[in-house]
Amino acid sequence: MKPTLKKLGLVFVLAGVAAFRALALDGVVIANSSVAADSLTADALKDIYTGKTKYWDGGQAIVIAVLPDKTDAALQQACGMDSSSFKTFWQRLAFSGRGQEPKRADDAAGLVALVSSTKGAIAIVPADAALNGVKKIDIK
Amino acid sequence: MADSLFGQDYEPAGQAQLEVTVRARSASCAVFSGHKWRQQKQICKTTMKKHTKKETKKVLLTAALGAAAACNTHAYDLTLGTNIPPITVHGTASQGYLLSSDYNYLANDTKNGSFQFSEFGLNVSMNPFPRTRVAVQGFDFDVGNAGQYDPFLDYALIEYTFNDKVGLRAGRIRRPAGIYNDIQDIDLARTFVLLPQGMYDARWRDWSAGLDGAEVFGDIQLPTHKLGDISYAFYAGQVEMQENGGIARYIDGTGMAMVSTLDDCPAYGGQLWYNTPVDGLRFGASISYLANFGFTVSSGGVLAHSIGDSLTQQYSAEYLWKNWTFQAEFQTYDYTGKTHYSLSFIPEGSSNDNPDSWYGAVSYRFNKHVQAGTYYSAWVDAGQKQNDIAVSLRLDLTDWWVFKVEGHAIEGTGLLRDMVDNPHTSNNSYWYMLAVKTTFSF
Repeated sequence: MKPTLKKLGLVFVLAGVAAFRALALDGVVIANSSVAADSLTADALKDIYTGKTKYWDGGQAIVIAVLPDKTDAALQQACGMDSSSFKTFWQRLAFSGRGQEPKRADDAAGLVALVSSTKGAIAIVPADAALNGVKKIDIK
Repeated sequence: MADSLFGQDYEPAGQAQLEVTVRARSASCAVFSGHKWRQQKQICKTTMKKHTKKETKKVLLTAALGAAAACNTHAYDLTLGTNIPPITVHGTASQGYLLSSDYNYLANDTKNGSFQFSEFGLNVSMNPFPRTRVAVQGFDFDVGNAGQYDPFLDYALIEYTFNDKVGLRAGRIRRPAGIYNDIQDIDLARTFVLLPQGMYDARWRDWSAGLDGAEVFGDIQLPTHKLGDISYAFYAGQVEMQENGGIARYIDGTGMAMVSTLDDCPAYGGQLWYNTPVDGLRFGASISYLANFGFTVSSGGVLAHSIGDSLTQQYSAEYLWKNWTFQAEFQTYDYTGKTHYSLSFIPEGSSNDNPDSWYGAVSYRFNKHVQAGTYYSAWVDAGQKQNDIAVSLRLDLTDWWVFKVEGHAIEGTGLLRDMVDNPHTSNNSYWYMLAVKTTFSF
């Protein structure tokens, strides 16, 4: 009896951890085709968007691109900051010499084109955006 | 009239020092009338002409950066070739206005309103090699007698990131200390026009903002993401003191002595942040040690050389929750020094200074255009005090244009630091200040 209960408890704990880790993103994560990664964990995505991870595994600089207003919910889900806080956060890094501000696009098509043409770029686009010339990154 | 400014027995220690004094104390060269003041009148005219040129330059620079921001709300990317990484360019220009009910604070004539409150920054950065970044920022500012629109190299660094845990940057860097030290003069990066001045004195950036040296930095994940992570930065180098910086102006502002030399000094320190597993909540601690900070002042023909060490500790808490931002910081500063005089019969003196300051701040963002905030700050040092309640409104009119208006209710005068412009001060005085600022950025 006891070993069975123990196993059951472990299953519930692992399910809880999995549920805690899962990220329901209101958008799709895309990257430039030069990026080797096909997937990221939710924590890795957050580390990128909060400036803790600045380079891909091969040493290529990570270039974050954003679409203000249209993907605010997804941005909040990814890094815990709303769009205004996110902008201020990166302005602080840029003007103190500790980072580079994300690039901004005016619409989804422009954002996809920006990511497509910028080595190392990553962005969150609306779920219905046409993903021409970029790769989709799965968030685990 | 000039006698009342300088005293009948005044003898300027040098032309450069007289120029500074003239700028600070005289709005018109007509005060220098009569044969006795002929040389001073000429210096005054030259000084005023230089100041007018600088004011013109400031207006043109603000207009240029504002136009650049309006034309392009994003950073400029300069492409030098197909195989060369692009260079990213950002800029910011701020112009402020200060008006006080009593005393002249931060700028020279705030009782009548002053525009001596400007900042301009232009930076470029690129990633030339894997894991490598190069960044340079030029800066120009004016706060009362500090800055004086003399542009300087704010930071120029090369950074190599081994991995998320360890990176190294070297060159001229901004010093991390608390929430705001390394962005203390970047208006668009905060809600308030004036940060709590007991902790982030707008006139003292040459002392506090940067150093020439190196810094090791990184983020260390605790065993699981559920425990959060530690961000760290430790630095060592040399602080370059500026002749027209806040420290020199502070000494000049006593009205009793003028700075002859101001030594650069070694600095060591670091900043730790514990980023908790709760989104937006972090706690910080920093320490900064300046060794052998030395300066020589002249007063009545006597030279006095002071040298001492200072230790600053700062503790911070910040919580970003939904549209709210909560911040609190405490800083304690200890200075110990000795003074030697050029006249041998004057014995060596010793000095100690131990001010403490703290503040609590709250701000709320109503939408992407409107944010309001308030803080209470306190500063105390050997019976002197200055407490401040600030209420601020920030308007993000566009992506590239910010406008702020802020009111201060201040008790005490401990931070005025300019006896020449404020001969009568009182710990028990209550006075008010209006601060307005607009910023363009791209």
